[in-house]
Amino acid sequence: MSRSVILETRGLSKAFGGLVALDKVDLSIDTTKITAVIGPNGAGKTTLFNLITGVYPASSGEIYFQGRLLNNVPAHKRASLGIVRTFQHVHLFGNMTVLENVMSGQHPRSSYGFLEAALRLSKARREEEAISLNAIKYLNLVGLGTYTDHDALSLPLGQQKLLAIARALATEPRLILLDEPGAGLNTLEKRQLSDLIRSIKEMEITVLLVEHDMPLVMGIAEWVIVLDSGQKIAEGTAAQIQKNPKVIAAYLGEEVE
Amino acid sequence: MSSAEFVQYLVSGITSGSIYALVGLGFTIIYAVTKIINFAQGEFVMLGGLISFTLIYRAGIPLAPALLLSILITAVIGALMYVLAIRTAKRASVVSLIIITIGAAIFIRGIAGQELTKDFIRLPSFSGEQSMSFLGAHIDPQALWIIGTTVVVTIILHLFLTYTMVGKALKACAINPVASSLVGINPKTMALIAFFLASALGGVGGVVFAPLTLMSYQSGVMLGLKGFVAAAIGGFKSPVAAVFGGLLLGIVETFVVAANWGPFTSAYKDAIALVVLLLILLIRSGKLAEEERAG
Amino acid sequence: MLRRLKSNWSYLAITALFVVLILVPFHWFLGQYTTLMIFIGIYTIVTVGLCLLMGYTGQVSLGQAAFFGTGAYISAILSTTYGFNPWLAMLVAAVATGAFAYIIGYPIFRLKGNYLAMATLGLGLIMWIVFKQLNQFFGEPDGISGIPYLSIGGFVFNSSFRRYFLVWFFCLAVLLISQNIVRSRTGRALRAIHGSESAAESIGINVDQFKVKILVLSAVYASMAGSLFAHHLRYVGAQTFDFMASVKLVVMAVIGGLASVWGAIFGAGATHILSDELLLRFGDWDVIIYGLILVLVMIFMPEGLFVRLKDILERLRLRYRRRGAEP
Repeated sequence: MSRSVILETRGLSKAFGGLVALDKVDLSIDTTKITAVIGPNGAGKTTLFNLITGVYPASSGEIYFQGRLLNNVPAHKRASLGIVRTFQHVHLFGNMTVLENVMSGQHPRSSYGFLEAALRLSKARREEEAISLNAIKYLNLVGLGTYTDHDALSLPLGQQKLLAIARALATEPRLILLDEPGAGLNTLEKRQLSDLIRSIKEMEITVLLVEHDMPLVMGIAEWVIVLDSGQKIAEGTAAQIQKNPKVIAAYLGEEVE
Repeated sequence: MSSAEFVQYLVSGITSGSIYALVGLGFTIIYAVTKIINFAQGEFVMLGGLISFTLIYRAGIPLAPALLLSILITAVIGALMYVLAIRTAKRASVVSLIIITIGAAIFIRGIAGQELTKDFIRLPSFSGEQSMSFLGAHIDPQALWIIGTTVVVTIILHLFLTYTMVGKALKACAINPVASSLVGINPKTMALIAFFLASALGGVGGVVFAPLTLMSYQSGVMLGLKGFVAAAIGGFKSPVAAVFGGLLLGIVETFVVAANWGPFTSAYKDAIALVVLLLILLIRSGKLAEEERAG
Repeated sequence: MLRRLKSNWSYLAITALFVVLILVPFHWFLGQYTTLMIFIGIYTIVTVGLCLLMGYTGQVSLGQAAFFGTGAYISAILSTTYGFNPWLAMLVAAVATGAFAYIIGYPIFRLKGNYLAMATLGLGLIMWIVFKQLNQFFGEPDGISGIPYLSIGGFVFNSSFRRYFLVWFFCLAVLLISQNIVRSRTGRALRAIHGSESAAESIGINVDQFKVKILVLSAVYASMAGSLFAHHLRYVGAQTFDFMASVKLVVMAVIGGLASVWGAIFGAGATHILSDELLLRFGDWDVIIYGLILVLVMIFMPEGLFVRLKDILERLRLRYRRRGAEP
C-alpha cells in the first residue's frame, strides 16, 4: 500500500439479512486530501462509516488502516490506532460539562486506571493535568474556549457539533470521520465548519466526511467518492463529479440544493 | 416408577404448569404490547386467590359469583396499576419501569397481607374432594378444573386476538406500534387493555389454583418468577410458546423432584425454576455474543 | 466560576459532616444512636457501590444482597469453623466476591434491560438458597453464630463505640475512593458510557470491560460491608440477605441518587431509619411504604431524592445570592 494511502477497503460488503447495504466497495483514501463520501439516501454511507469504526463487522472484504488489517480490531481499540468519528446525532455526554466532554476524548491517550484513580497517585494527578491542558487546547481550536464549565447540552446545536469535533480531536487521531457535520447548521456556522475542517487538515489529520450539503462538499472536498445503492459509482474531484452523468442520474428524483 | 405414578406426576406437572402458563401469558401480552416486563404479574395470581377467599368467607358471597367478582377486581387493580404507576411515569427508562413495577408488586403484596389476610388460605374445591381415578392414578378433580380452565382460556384468548377488532388492534400494536398509531390505534388504550387482560389471566389462575394448594400473600413472588421463565421460553413474543414453556417447567419441576435427583428435594423445588431461568439467560447471553461476533 | 463556588460549599459540607460523625458516639452528643449509625455506615458502603453500578451502567441489580451476604458468610465461616484471622477472612471474602462478580460480569452484561434485571434477581435468590444451606453445614439451622470480634493487636473492637469508628473509617475511605474514581479518567469513562455507549466506544472506551469493573467494585464494597456486618452482629442469618434485602438496597440507592457518591449516606440513612421507624410504628406496613416510595421516587425523581434535594437547595442558594446582591 502506497505511503500516502491512509485507509483502504477491498471488496468491502455488508448485508443485513437479505438487504445488501454495501456491495464490494473498493476505496483508497489519500492521507493528504479532504475526502467526502456522497450519495442519495440509502446509498450505504453510514454503513461504510460504521464498518470503518467497527460498530459491526463486515460481511466480506477487508479494511486496511495504515497498512494494517482492521477487520478484527474491536471498535474500542480503533481510537488508540488513530481512527475517530463524530455522529450525525451528536451523541454528547449530557451528564458532563463542555470541558469534561473533551477531556473524555483524551481517554486513549492516557493510561492511569482504577487503582491510581482511587488513591490519587501522582501518575493520576500528572496525567489529569495534561488531560485538562490538552482539552482546553482543543476547545480553543474549535472556538469554545469560554464555555468550559457549561453543561454540554446547554449549548445550541451548532456549538454542540463543534464540541463533538473537539472531543474527537482530543483522541489525537490520524483519521477523523465526520458524519453529516453540516446538518442543522446555518450558513455562518457552515462557513466556520469549513474553516475548521481546513485547520484539521493542517494538523495533518485526514478528514473523511459524509455530507448531504452539496455547496459545503464542493467547497471543501479535495476528493469526492459517490455511492449509490451500496456501490461506488464514481470518484474524482468536486468539479469532475458534478459533471459525471452517472452521478447526476443517481441524484435524479432527489432534492438537489 | 410405575405407570400409575408416572401418570400422577405428569398430571401434577401439567397442573402446576398450567398456572405458570397463565402467568406467562400475562407477561407475554404486556411485554408484546408495551415492551414492559410487569414484575407484579405474579401478584395478580395471589390476588385472585386471596380476594375470592375474602369475598367467600368474610363477605359471605357464594362461590361462583365470588370467583368471577374477584377476577374482575383483580383485572381492575391491574388496570389501575397501569394508570397510576406506569402511565404517569411517561417516558421513563427501562430501569425506572422495572423499579416501578417491583415497587407496585411490593405495595400490592403488602396491602394484601395487611388488608386481606396474613394466613395461608385455601378455597373450597369446585367439585368436591373425592379424587378421581385415571389410568390407575389418583387425580384431584381440581386439577382437571385447572387444566381445563387454562385450555379454555387459551383458546378464548387466541380467538379474541385473531377475530375481534380489539384483539387485532392489540396484535397490531405489538407488531408495530408506530404504524398502528398511524391508523388510529391508541397505544395507551392498548396498554391499558393489555394490563387489564394480563391481570385477569392472573386472577383466573389464582382462582382455580387456590382450592388445590395453600396460598398466602407471599405466593406471588415465586409464581411470578416461574411465569417469567415460561414467558422467557416463549421469547416474550409468542403466547403459544409461553403456554408451552409453562407446561414444560411444571413437568420438569415435578419429575426432577420425583426422581430425587441431586440436591433437588421437594424443599428446593423452587430452585429448579431458578436454574432453568439462569440456563435460559445463559443461552440467550451466549446467542447474543454470537450475534455480536457474526454481525 | 459556578463550579468553584460549588466545590467550596462541598468542602464545607464534608468537613461539617466529618465533625458530626466524630462526635456522634459520645454519650453527651448522640451516643444512643451509635448502633443505628453503625448499620447506616455498613449499608452506606453497599449503597455507594450500588449507586455507581446502577447509575453508570444504567442497569438495575436486584440481587446486590448476594454480594453483601457472600462477604458476611465467608467471613463468618472462615473465622469460626476454620479459625482464620478475621482480617484475612475479610480479605479472602472480598477477593472471592470480586472474582465471582468478574466471572458473571461479561455474560450478564450481554443481557439487557429486563433480562439483566431478571438475571440479577435469579442470582440473588440462588445465593439466598445457598446461604440457607451454609447455615445447615456450618452452624445452626437459622444462622451462624459465635463470630469473633475484629481486633488489631490487643485492641479488640468489642464495644459499639469502637466498632462505630471502625465502620465509619471504612465507610469514609470507601466514599473518598469512590469520589476519586468518579472525578478521574475512569469516572469520566463511566459517565461517558452512561451518556452514550456508542460515543464512548468511539473514543476508545472498552464499554464491556468498564461495566464489569464497576460490577466488581460494587461487589467488593458489598463484601467488605458484609464482613463488617458479621463481625458486628457476631451472627449471620440467611433472612438478612433475601430478596427484600436487595430491594431495600435499591431503595437506598434510589433515594441517595444513582450515580451519586455522598448521596449514598443520605439514602442509606434515610431508608434505614425509615425502615426501623416504620417497623416500630406500623408493623408490616414498612414493606408497603417501600413499594410506594419506589414507585413515587422513580416516577417523579428518577435521578434520586438526594440529587433532587441538592438541586433545589442549589436553586434556593442562587436566588438568595441574587437577592443579596440587589440594593
